[in-house]
Amino acid sequence: MILTVALAAVLLTGTVSAGMLATGELEQRIDSLFVIASSGEVRFRDQNEPAMDSIAALGAPAVPYLIDRFTTRSARERWTVIWILQRIGSPAVPDLVQALRRSDGLVVQRVCWALGDIKDTMAVEPLIQVCSHPRWQVREQAIGALGKIADIRGGSAAINGLADSIGQVRKAAAVTCGKLKLHQSIRKLAHVLGDDFYGARLSAAASLLKLDTNAVVATLADSVRSANRLVGNIACDVLGENGTDDAMLILLGETGSDNPDRRAHAAVALVKADPHDNCGFRKQVIDRETDRLVLLKIQSAIDAVGNGQ
Amino acid sequence: MLLPMSVSIRIAIVLVLLPLALAGENPEQLPPEQFGLQHLTEYLGLMPGDISFRRDYTEPDSFRFEIVADLMTHPLGMINYCTGLRDAHVKGQPEILAGVLFTDMATEYQSERLGPYHPDITEIQGRYNLYYTNLSLNRLLTRAAVYIDVVFPRSSEMMLAWLSSVQRKFLTNEFRELIVMRQEEESLSMQGLDSLEKLEEKYTEEFAAFGTMIDMDPVVAAGIDCLRELLLEVKALQGMVRSGQMTVADLLKEAGYLPDDFDAETYLGKQSGWKVGGPGDDYYRGDYRFILDFGGDDVYDLTYDPSNPHGVVIIDFGGDDHYRAESDFTCGSGCLSVGLLLDFSGNDRYDARSFGLGSGYFGLGILYDGGGDDRYNGDTHVQGAGSFGMGLLIDEGGRDIYDAALHAQGFGFVEGVGVIYDTDGSDSYYAGGKYKDQLRYEDHYLSLSQGFGYGLRPWMSGGVGAIVDLGGNDNYCADIFAQGCSYWWSLGIIYDSSGNDSYHCYQYGQGTATHMSLGIIVDDFGNDVYYGKGLMQGCGHDYSCGLILDRHGDDTYTAYDLSQAAGSANGAGVLIDNEGDDRYLIRNAKNSQGYGNPRRDFGSIGLFIDLGGTDQYAGNGRDNFYWKTDSKWGGGMDIELQPSDSMKAGD
Repeated sequence: MILTVALAAVLLTGTVSAGMLATGELEQRIDSLFVIASSGEVRFRDQNEPAMDSIAALGAPAVPYLIDRFTTRSARERWTVIWILQRIGSPAVPDLVQALRRSDGLVVQRVCWALGDIKDTMAVEPLIQVCSHPRWQVREQAIGALGKIADIRGGSAAINGLADSIGQVRKAAAVTCGKLKLHQSIRKLAHVLGDDFYGARLSAAASLLKLDTNAVVATLADSVRSANRLVGNIACDVLGENGTDDAMLILLGETGSDNPDRRAHAAVALVKADPHDNCGFRKQVIDRETDRLVLLKIQSAIDAVGNGQ
Repeated sequence: MLLPMSVSIRIAIVLVLLPLALAGENPEQLPPEQFGLQHLTEYLGLMPGDISFRRDYTEPDSFRFEIVADLMTHPLGMINYCTGLRDAHVKGQPEILAGVLFTDMATEYQSERLGPYHPDITEIQGRYNLYYTNLSLNRLLTRAAVYIDVVFPRSSEMMLAWLSSVQRKFLTNEFRELIVMRQEEESLSMQGLDSLEKLEEKYTEEFAAFGTMIDMDPVVAAGIDCLRELLLEVKALQGMVRSGQMTVADLLKEAGYLPDDFDAETYLGKQSGWKVGGPGDDYYRGDYRFILDFGGDDVYDLTYDPSNPHGVVIIDFGGDDHYRAESDFTCGSGCLSVGLLLDFSGNDRYDARSFGLGSGYFGLGILYDGGGDDRYNGDTHVQGAGSFGMGLLIDEGGRDIYDAALHAQGFGFVEGVGVIYDTDGSDSYYAGGKYKDQLRYEDHYLSLSQGFGYGLRPWMSGGVGAIVDLGGNDNYCADIFAQGCSYWWSLGIIYDSSGNDSYHCYQYGQGTATHMSLGIIVDDFGNDVYYGKGLMQGCGHDYSCGLILDRHGDDTYTAYDLSQAAGSANGAGVLIDNEGDDRYLIRNAKNSQGYGNPRRDFGSIGLFIDLGGTDQYAGNGRDNFYWKTDSKWGGGMDIELQPSDSMKAGD
């Protein structure tokens, strides 16, 4: 009971404006609230949100102290900083942008993350500046943040990122290309379908679905013949999701592949593209299929669309 | 540019032959689980090699085992690693398994492995007068004396050579506080808990600054050498008694003449801390260095003072013995040294406190029990637990009961390997029930046991914790974090070869790994039951891989959520069941049975693979079915890898 009263007192005084507090007092206030905000104990969990709100209510003056806490090695404290900065929003951006110049790459990458979550376009140019940072984690976070902010000025950085030497950066670039709807990235994204890193590969597939359908289908018509089997297989999946007539013709062709895996990808994609078999391809594909596992994949796909999956 | 003719021809030949070679590879000839992994990943646009985690996802630290770092780059290699571990033990020769585990204790950036201290001839010869007359017995005692008096203390000195006296004290005081818990912590206020957390962080940071200067290799290697040498002598003595060549009374015959000023300290086997007991029921009490007991139902009340570390060797030839700890660090406990407890037969009872029953704490602790229905009780860091060292409990046969509270039963902490290897009998393993998991629940308890690898995130990578149980219908029961589970750059393993086994755990268990780590259960044979609530049965969270592989039998899997092949926060969860008519029950199908959730703007991996039998599902799966879940990214398949022959005789 005494503890509850004490906590209420801390939280209530936390709602006073930052202007009313001297520098030392402000730091002390943030410290005491942060202990509560970042407490992981289940019995104190209902105090986390009010404490975060109280720090956020202090506004921009609290931001430098929060940025300093980005050096923490505690994941819970790191998340708490991010959540508070999200609540402060745009007033936090000037100090965060300033912090992009810090020498500590760990802090810079976390600042990029926060800027992406705040989604203020003031951060776009500064973020572009750090897209060539020597630390790959910074490049990943910066390119990802540009996608979250969804400002087209980040387009070039994203397309360049598709050729980065690190898979995580290529992944971030692939995601951002989709978020920014960069139609000029289609061919490069098709190439990334064969990426060594699955995060980049499957993110590229998801992004292609957000771009100009006809252009994507035209590009993938070539990609299915790629020597990299992953490109062709995932291209089939994307074509199945697109479901245009042209896409289905490409898929029908691939159901005649020598490779049973490719036939399966194409046939399953055809089922996805034409769930009610309006085009009547299904019987033809099934009749000529000899591999029992490919047939099971096709039948499973038919059952799944029948069940609305 | 034209290539030289020979190179061009070679390339042409390769290009012609390559498709033929690939076509000739029948994937169904692969081990079933490998075929399943290749086949399902292909279906999902993935590759088995996609389950891989970069070493630089987190800051490197100097405590990381090379084997863990290496397996993180190809986690599916855990399956072969487990098989190697299963095959590493030879009955009656515990030193072989210890030696194999020792090779895996190399850290990632370690350039050389130091051996034990090698005594010179003056240190070996002429230290004691002979009290007993039997040559074989004296040889055993002499070898033990060299290790206990010379090799162990000098090897310990090598281990801690670079540490100041304050830092040495830190190991048995502050560092110990990072491993033990107290029930009183439940009643602390938020500020109290925060202070405690900050204090532990301070201890961790302080230790991380000098812990890299500790090299436990000389001590662990010394202990394994000692074990090897003593076992040869022990077997010679056992052989003589068993063959009737000599009675125990003959063996224990004293020298005919003892001087009037007989000083026990100068006579081998009679020094303080040494005892040689006959075949009757004996009672031992105190802080011993060496006990040799030739049989009978003995009682041991043992103590150990960590501020005065020394080697301890206890050899008991048989009888139903009772080992009781009157302090921590007893019963096969190596604390800043080596502790060996070898009990060759009988239905024994071991009641330890903490840091016992095969506990290596900055050292090597081995408990070898050669047979009988045994009972092992302890609190924390017991029953195959290693921290900066190796803790090994080997039990060969019998229906055994293992009971502990925390950090136990195959527990590998920082630079530690902890293993239980139980060869036979229907065994019961229980871990938990004492220290509450205050972070998550008000009514559940931490286990952090039963094949559990544990590191201090983000400062120090963890070790390897494993249970290998070859036979019997075994019961594994735990609460939070257990059963082939891990946390922070570590590896947790359960390998159970046969029997109808039952695995019960509430959360984080049964082939689950969290935060840059690896967890696996392999169960070869038997109709097994896996039961738990969440993050179970093949779940990898935060750049981790959790894997459950059940090769045979009609198995039942039950869980609530984020289980049965669930990848979370860019982790990978894999469930593979090769054969049998199985049942898979899940409460929340939206995040289980082939599920991956997104984090850091990309997905995780969940692979659910059933390769045979008529199976029942509550969830996403179905018998004879392929599925992709609406997640990033996961799916499953239930096929008949070996389809039944529908042709009848005469057709």
